[in-house]
This record gives sequence, C-alpha cells and structure tokens, in this order.
Amino acid sequence: MSINLTIALLVVALFIILLTTYFLKKGRIPEKYSLLWYCFGLIILLVGIFPDFFGNISEKFGFEVMSNFVIGIIVGILILLTMALTIIIAGQKKKTTLLIQEVSILRSEIKNEKK
Amino acid sequence: MKKVLLIIPAYNEEENILTTYLSIVNYNKQYKTKYDVIVINDGSKDRTSEICHENNIPVIDLVHNLGIGGAVQTGYKYAYYHDYDIAVQFDGDGQHDVRYVKNIINPILEGKADMTIGSRFVGDIETFRSTFARRIGISIISICMQMTTGYKIYDTTSGFRACSKELIYDFSLSYPNEYPEPITTAEVLKKKYKIEEIPVEMKEREAGTSSIKTWRKAYYMINVCLALIAVKIRRYKRCR
Repeated sequence: MSINLTIALLVVALFIILLTTYFLKKGRIPEKYSLLWYCFGLIILLVGIFPDFFGNISEKFGFEVMSNFVIGIIVGILILLTMALTIIIAGQKKKTTLLIQEVSILRSEIKNEKK
Repeated sequence: MKKVLLIIPAYNEEENILTTYLSIVNYNKQYKTKYDVIVINDGSKDRTSEICHENNIPVIDLVHNLGIGGAVQTGYKYAYYHDYDIAVQFDGDGQHDVRYVKNIINPILEGKADMTIGSRFVGDIETFRSTFARRIGISIISICMQMTTGYKIYDTTSGFRACSKELIYDFSLSYPNEYPEPITTAEVLKKKYKIEEIPVEMKEREAGTSSIKTWRKAYYMINVCLALIAVKIRRYKRCR
C-alpha cells in the first residue's frame, strides 16, 4: 500500500474519532450511536496501521488494488449505517405518531370538558 | 345495547363532511339507532375543522397530519378508551351509505364475524364499482391476498368496514400507516379472526379527490404486494 494512502487513512480515522468525541462531549450524539462511529473510525485506523495484513486479505478476496478493498470496506460499513438509520427513523416515526394521536385525543377531550 | 362508533377520517373534506354527518344524524332519528360519530380531522388545510366545530360534530383535530392509517388508528384508540363494542370505518367523502351500516355490523352483533368488509363485488346490488384500472388493481391485490393468507377477499381496498371490540383493542395498539385496508385485512386473517364480506352500495365521490392519485397507482400496487408478502412471513399473535 502506498504511503499516501496510509497517511490519508490515518487522517480520516483520526478525524472521525475526534469528531465523534467532540459531539459526544457536547452531548449531541448519544453514547450508543457514538460507539458505532468509533468502530467505523477504528476499522479505518487498523487498515492504516496494518496495511500488510489487510493487503493479504484484499489479495485473497481478489482485489487487484488495495485501495479498492478499502473503499469496499467503507461502502459496506456505510450501507450498514444507513440501514441502522432507517430502523432508527422508523422507530422514531412510530413514537411521533403515538404522541400526535394521544395529544390530539387529550386536546379534544379537554376542549369538550370546557364546553 | 351495543355501543357503535362510526370513525370518519377526514382530510380536506369541507364540501362533504357536514352532509355525511347529517345523513347519519337523520338516519339515527328515523330508525331510532344510536350510532355515535367521531371525525378524525387529519390536519386538513381547508375549513373541515371549523365546519365540525360550528356544527357540533364530535371531532379530534390531529395536531399534525398523519396519513390515513394514523388517522383511522386514532379513531380506534378513541373507541377503545370510550369502551365501544363495534367500530365502523366510514368515509367522510360521501362514498359510503349509512343505510348499510346495519348490514355490516349485524354479523358482528350475532357473533358470526370479528370483522366485516362492505364490498362492491359480492352480492347482486347494482353499485358504482370503481374505474376499470382500479378494478384490475383490486383483483391483483385480491389474488396476492389469497396466496398469502389462503382466503379470498373480493373488495380488498374497501374503506367501509366494521370490527369487534377485540379488534378495536388490537388496532388501537398497532395499525399500518400506509395501505391500511389490504394489510389489516391480511393481518386479521392471519390472526385467525373471522372476516365476512357484506354487499354494499357505494357512490362515486361527491367532491374532492381520492387519496390514491393516478401516477401513484403502480407504486401503490408494488408496495401492497410487498406488504402482503411481509404479512405472510411475519408471525402474529392475538393481542388478547
């Protein structure tokens, strides 16, 4: 793996880890989800630190260039992250619907009692 | 006497809602029935809410638009909280005829069915049977439904239906937000409840536009079929 790619990976990994820590500190990202991002950063960091190990794996999987393997891993993780987000959003939607329904029923009942 | 509630979901129905309500009130007077009404105003942008309040129509104004499933489910929650025995879903756009409510609640009162569907395609009542394209859609859904549940339901998209107390509780806990009619029918069948189709007359919409727009029909079909497959692979148990 070229030295440039190694540096780029280390920079990106550190950036993700620091950014996650920053948001965690500010309380804008819950611990549960920060873990997901730390794992993401860690995987990229490992690829940067142990290029030979991942180089071997990449060859075994039939990638001709190591960078394609790295991109493959990143795309895979992103797909999983997006799926996790879809599930989280669906859960949120259920809760919002429940809230809207209950609040609306309560409001109408309060109005009726005032009459 | 069993308590019956008509749930009327309404989105921008200022032209029809009062006529629909009055038809029910007049029917109650004429036939000495006691059908209660609750209009669920799904965040209408027109005067639906004002018309309801001005005319003392019982209404729940949803604080935000939820879509048909969310609106109807609010009605079932209301029915559950107020201990109704039967809930009837009734459109606010003048398509459904209150004279048929008696027919569709009868099998539930007699304990022959847990849910009934007001159907345009059974019996020999002369009625408006929707457009050609839509009839094809309804048959395709019907075939999908038979493949996934093993039961033949003819009018899979009819919004004129009644259900028992047990199902009111069931629906108040969980009700699909999109394509609720075919999906709930399949779910109810899978939970081994009894469904009966009752012939009814339906009118063409008196004003306003249907919630299913032309360009969305194909998308609707694909989604409903997918949802039916999902019902097939899911496990269900009765809430009570």
